Amino acid sequence: MAILDISGIVAGYGAGPDILKGLSLAIEPERSYCVIGPNGAGKSTLLKVICGLVPAREGAVVFEGDRLNGLRTDEILHRGICFVPQDRSLFPDMTIRENLRMGGYILKDRREVDRRIEEVYGMFPILKERNSQLAKTLSGGQQQMLLIGRALVLRPRIIMLDEPSLGLAPIVSRQIFDSMNTLKAAGITIIVVEQNARMGLQFADWGCVLDLGKAMFEGPSASILEDPRIEELYLGRRRSRAGADA
Amino acid sequence: MSSAESALSQKSALGDSVASRRFFIAFLLAATAAFPLLQVAFGGLNYWLHMLLFIYMNVAIASSWNIIGGYAGYISLGHNVFFAIGGYAAAILFAYHGISPFISAPLCGLIAMSSGLLIGMVTLRTRGPTFIISTIALVLLTKILLDNWRYVGGANGMSLPLLDMPVEFVKLPFYYGMLIIAVASVYLSFRIRRSKFGLGLRAISQDETKAEVAGIPTRFYKILAFGLSGFFIGTAGALWGYYLTYLSPAIFLSILVGAKFVLMTILGGRGTVAGPVLGAVLFISANEFFVSQFGATELNLAATGLLLILVLMFFPEGILGTLKQKGRLPKILDWD
Amino acid sequence: MTQTVQIIILGLSLGGVFALMASGLTLIFGVMGIINLAHAAFIILASFITFGLFKYFALDPILSIVIVMPVMFIVGVAVYRIFFARSIADPNKRGVTVLLTFAIALVIEGTLGFLFSNIYRSTSPSYASSAILFGPYYLPEAQFYATILSAVILIGLWAFLQYTRTGYAIRATMHNRTAAEVVGVNVDRISMLVFGIGMALAGASGAMVSFLFSVYPSKHWEFVAILLSLVVLGGMGSLLGALVGALVLSVAAAFVSSYYGPVWSPVTFYLALFTILLFRPQGLMGKKAEF
Repeated sequence: MAILDISGIVAGYGAGPDILKGLSLAIEPERSYCVIGPNGAGKSTLLKVICGLVPAREGAVVFEGDRLNGLRTDEILHRGICFVPQDRSLFPDMTIRENLRMGGYILKDRREVDRRIEEVYGMFPILKERNSQLAKTLSGGQQQMLLIGRALVLRPRIIMLDEPSLGLAPIVSRQIFDSMNTLKAAGITIIVVEQNARMGLQFADWGCVLDLGKAMFEGPSASILEDPRIEELYLGRRRSRAGADA
Repeated sequence: MSSAESALSQKSALGDSVASRRFFIAFLLAATAAFPLLQVAFGGLNYWLHMLLFIYMNVAIASSWNIIGGYAGYISLGHNVFFAIGGYAAAILFAYHGISPFISAPLCGLIAMSSGLLIGMVTLRTRGPTFIISTIALVLLTKILLDNWRYVGGANGMSLPLLDMPVEFVKLPFYYGMLIIAVASVYLSFRIRRSKFGLGLRAISQDETKAEVAGIPTRFYKILAFGLSGFFIGTAGALWGYYLTYLSPAIFLSILVGAKFVLMTILGGRGTVAGPVLGAVLFISANEFFVSQFGATELNLAATGLLLILVLMFFPEGILGTLKQKGRLPKILDWD
Repeated sequence: MTQTVQIIILGLSLGGVFALMASGLTLIFGVMGIINLAHAAFIILASFITFGLFKYFALDPILSIVIVMPVMFIVGVAVYRIFFARSIADPNKRGVTVLLTFAIALVIEGTLGFLFSNIYRSTSPSYASSAILFGPYYLPEAQFYATILSAVILIGLWAFLQYTRTGYAIRATMHNRTAAEVVGVNVDRISMLVFGIGMALAGASGAMVSFLFSVYPSKHWEFVAILLSLVVLGGMGSLLGALVGALVLSVAAAFVSSYYGPVWSPVTFYLALFTILLFRPQGLMGKKAEF
C-alpha cells in the first residue's frame, strides 16, 4: 500500500557519526507529509538519503517495490522522486525558462520538456511573465516558486521539499504553501521538511516528528498540532535539562 | 590503582616526557654547537660543515614559512622573494658600503620583514588559491625586476669578496651564523604557537570568516605573520649570498627553490613546531643523496614534484602531523 | 596612428591565442573550483608532442592538432581520475588541490627537461617566417593562422556549451553544483569530461605555441602567470571574461613591449594581476572563487 517504504535507515555524512539511527516511515500515496523536529534530528538527511545524495549505511528505501539504496540521484529521478534542496538551488545566471529546461534535463525529448514547461507556466503564471529574467533577479518567494515549477517538469510521483519557507517573510511563506496546494490537487505525494512546524502541519495532511535520528511520532497533522506530548517533546527537553542543572 | 595514584603517575609521566624532550633539545644544541670543534681538532670535515649549515639554513626557512603557511594556512609559493631581498640587501651593503653581512644580517632581516608587511597589505586581501597565484606572480615579477637592475648586476649577478680566513676555518662563522638563525627561528615559531597570536592564526586557517566574527583581528594577524615569516629568511639570505660569494636572480628566485621551501615544511608537518625542522633535515639529506647518485639534473625537479604529490595525497599532515593524529608521536619530537 | 593600429593588431592577434590557452583553465575552474597551476605545463607538453610530430613525421603543426587534441583529452581524463576525482567534493581541500596541480607542473617540467634538455625549440613550418600584409599593416602569417584557428575553436566551444545537452549540463554545474546534481546531472562524469576538454584546448594551444614562441620546459611559469592574470581580470569561470581579459591585456602588453622593450611585456600581466586582486578579485565577469 505504501508508495515509499523506509525501514531502519542509518546514515551520516562522510566519515562522521550516524545522524539517522534506525528510522522507519511508510509514505502513503497522494498524501502530504510534514516532517518536523529539532535541529540535528536528521530531517534534511532523510530527504537526501531518499533521493540518493547521501548513502544509507543500513536499512532500505523501497519505492513501489524497487530498492532505491545505492542508486544514483538521476536514476532515482527517473523513477519519479524529485528533491528541492534547502539552499535555494537555482541556476542564478540562467533565465527562468532555462532553469525550467534544466528541470527536464533527464528527459530526452526536447519538445516534451517544452510542453511540460507550458503546463508549469499554467500553474504559476508569474513565472511565464518573467520567463526571460535571470533567476537571481527574482524575489525569494518567486525563486521558491521556480524551484517547485522546476521539480514539476518531471511530473514526479513524489516531491520532497527541504524547508521551503526558509528565509521568507511569513506572508510569502503562506503564498508558497498556497501554491503547493496545486501539487496536492495534482495528486502528487508531498514530503515537506519544515522548521516552521505550525505552517507545515497546517498545510500537510500528515505529520511526522523526527528526533534523535528516529521517527518518534506520526499521525494526522491536526492531531499533532493539538497533542500536548508534542509540545513536551519540543519544550519538555528544555524543562528537564533545566531540572538537571538545578 | 586509586584515582589519586593514577593521577599522580600521569603527572609524573607527563613530567618525564617534558623532561626528556628538554634533554633531547639540550643535547641537540650542545652537539651542534660542539661539532665544529672536531673540525678545529682534526680538519677534513668541510663537507659536513657545509651540509650542516645548509640544513640549519633550511630549518630556519621552513620554520619561518610555517608561520604563514602552516599556522595561518596561507600557502606562499613565492617565499624565496624574502630570501632574495635579504641576500641582495646584504650584498649591496657589503659591496658598496663595506659592511659585513654578519653585521648587517639582522638589518637585512628587518628589510625583508618590512617588505613582507608592505606586500602582505596588498596580497593578503585575497584568500586561498588566489593568494597562491599572487605569490607566484610576485616571484616572477621580482625576478624580472632584479634581472634588469644594473646596480646589482642584473641577470649576470653580483660577486662578493671571499671571507679572509684560512680554508679550514672559513666555514665556521657561517656554520654558527646559520645555527643561531635556525635556533632563533624555531624559538620564534615555538613562542608564536603558544601565544594568543598563534591561536588566532590557527583559527584563521580553520575558518577565517568565523575567526573574524569571533573578534580576531584577522587582517592584522595575517600581515604580521607574513612579515615575521620573512625576517629569518631574509637574515639567512644575507649570509647565504656571502657564503656563496655570488648572487644572481636565477639562484635566489627560481620557482624550484620556492617549491622546496613548501615541500620541506609540508613533509615534516606544517602547523607544528618540530615538523619544519624534521622536514628540512629529511628533505635536504634526501636531496643531497639524490644529487650525489643522479646528478643535479631536471630529474631533481620531477622528483621534487613527485614527492610533493605523494605527500599531499597520502600524508597531507606531514610526517609529524600524521603520527600525531595516530597518537604515535614520540614525545621528544612533540615540541608544540 | 598607423603605428598604434599596428600594435593593436598584433596585440589582438596574440590575445586570441591567449584566450584559447586560458579557456581550458577557466572552464576547469568554473566546473570544479580547481585552479590548475599545471595548465601551462600541459600546454608546453602539447608543444613538445607537436614538435616531435613535426621533427619525426614532418607533420605540420596545425594539422597535428587533429592528433594532439584527442591525445590531450585522454591525458586530461586520466589525470582527473588519478588526482582529482576524490578531492573536488571537499571544499576544505581546495588549497591542497592547488598545491597538487603545482606539483604536477613540476613533474611535467622536470620530465620534459630531462628528456629533451633546456634548449629552446620551436617548430618551423613554412609560414613561421613570413608575414601577411593588409594595406599598411602586417601580421606574421603564423599568427594569422593561429588567431583564425583559435577563433574557430572558441566559437565551436561556445556553440557546444550553448546548444548541446551536455553543454547545458556543464553550464548548470558551473552555476550551482548541488542544483545540477538534484536535477539529475552526473556531476562527477561532467567534471571528468570538462577536465578532458580543458586539456584538449590546452593541446590545441600547445600546437600553436610550438610555432609562435620558442619553447623550453620552464617557460610554462611565464605562461601560467599570464594566463592567470587574464583569467582573473575577466573573472574566473567566465569564458567571455577570459576572452575580454586576453584581448585587453595582450593589447596593453603589446604597447608596453613597443615602448619599453619586449622584456617588460610580461610585467604588464603581473602588475595587472596584482591590481585586480587588490581591487576587484572577482574580475569583470566572474563568480567569486569559493574557498
